[in-house]
Amino acid sequence: MATFRLQVVSMDGLEFDGEVQRLKLRSIDGDLAILARHINYCTAVGMGKATVVLEDGTERNAACIGGMLSMMDNLCRLIPTTWEWGDEIDVERAQRAKERAEQRLHDEKLEEQARVRAEAKLYRALVRLSAAGK
Amino acid sequence: MAAANMKAVKLRIKSVQNTMQITKAMQLVAASKLRKAKEKADQSKPYFEIMRATLRDIAVNNTEFQSPYTRQVKNDKWLYVVIAGDRGLAGGYNANLFKFMENETKGRDYMVLPIGKKAVEYFRHRDVELFTEDFAEVAKISVSDCFGIARMICDAYSAGRFGHVLLCYTQFVSMLTQTPMASSLLPLADFEEEVREEQALAGNDQPKAPVRDLILYEPDSETVFNAIVPEYLAGLLYTSINVSVASELAARRTAMEAATDNASEMIEKLSLFYNRARQASITQEITEIVAGAEGNS
Repeated sequence: MATFRLQVVSMDGLEFDGEVQRLKLRSIDGDLAILARHINYCTAVGMGKATVVLEDGTERNAACIGGMLSMMDNLCRLIPTTWEWGDEIDVERAQRAKERAEQRLHDEKLEEQARVRAEAKLYRALVRLSAAGK
Repeated sequence: MAAANMKAVKLRIKSVQNTMQITKAMQLVAASKLRKAKEKADQSKPYFEIMRATLRDIAVNNTEFQSPYTRQVKNDKWLYVVIAGDRGLAGGYNANLFKFMENETKGRDYMVLPIGKKAVEYFRHRDVELFTEDFAEVAKISVSDCFGIARMICDAYSAGRFGHVLLCYTQFVSMLTQTPMASSLLPLADFEEEVREEQALAGNDQPKAPVRDLILYEPDSETVFNAIVPEYLAGLLYTSINVSVASELAARRTAMEAATDNASEMIEKLSLFYNRARQASITQEITEIVAGAEGNS
């Protein structure tokens, strides 16, 4: 299958640089997949599980949150705010974060701002858990 | 006379020794902090470079100008985000940056967002209009602060308080060399000029091909840019703060190393002088005793 070069770089450094068959991720507009020779393309990244299909067909999952994606002349640059490979995610910690956020959201007297923050935390934890495959 | 002189030299040696102790300690502290800071700067370097390259490609090929972030605006006010240090004694680190700033801002109407205590002091002293002083301490700035700054810049930019945003920081070239740099942040159209200038410098002065590659934006360019730009600003800010902090520590280490060397050289010279004076006074005493004994016999 045709491949294209993918660079994933977050503030923590270069996470991936190499040939891939397919990249699937969630943009602010919904899920999308990039294949080789995609039209020049640019979008903002949402929060969700990203899947990279490597040259040899193996799939790697990651939690991908925020940032941007650009595809220019068969070079795909993904610049997320945070990117964590599924096998590097601390599942227990994500689980704990999820429970904490859920508990906080049950509190009805929660202020609007705190609620938004708790929701974001819950969402991040869910993304992490789904990327870790749990 | 000799005795008084000796005492003064002794005191001088003592004081130089004390100074040397301080510079030596500062050198060691800077060196150990530098290792961590350099790691951090190296880590964020690819992010900075790939982010800029991507934005450049987009700016050069962009044909959509709905978003205020992309189009050239008729507002000649500039905002300079200046990243300096919190403390002095770092050789020319702060001075070089400010000198560079002065050249850069010549003849422009500008305001400044200083980051770092030295930058705040400098621009306040010169009565430059400050955008905000909330981010005085560069050492305390976190990722979320960067997002806060980025949002403030975006809001003020959209409100038309300034038409261009530039970032001044110190690039970490090597352990011994750090150079001040400026890079455009907003609008993205400024990138195009930068690219053209660079091409002209490289001797490649052919006008750019008028045909542009079309880019597909999803859902549409305005939404995409509104989502991307604050993140891009925050990311660039954070990474250039990391690089600047590493530069500051490297500059301080070099400066303190030179100071320590100078101090030890000075101590050597003073000790030589002291020993000579001591020897001279002993010789004089002996001469006096001998002369006295001869006079008696």
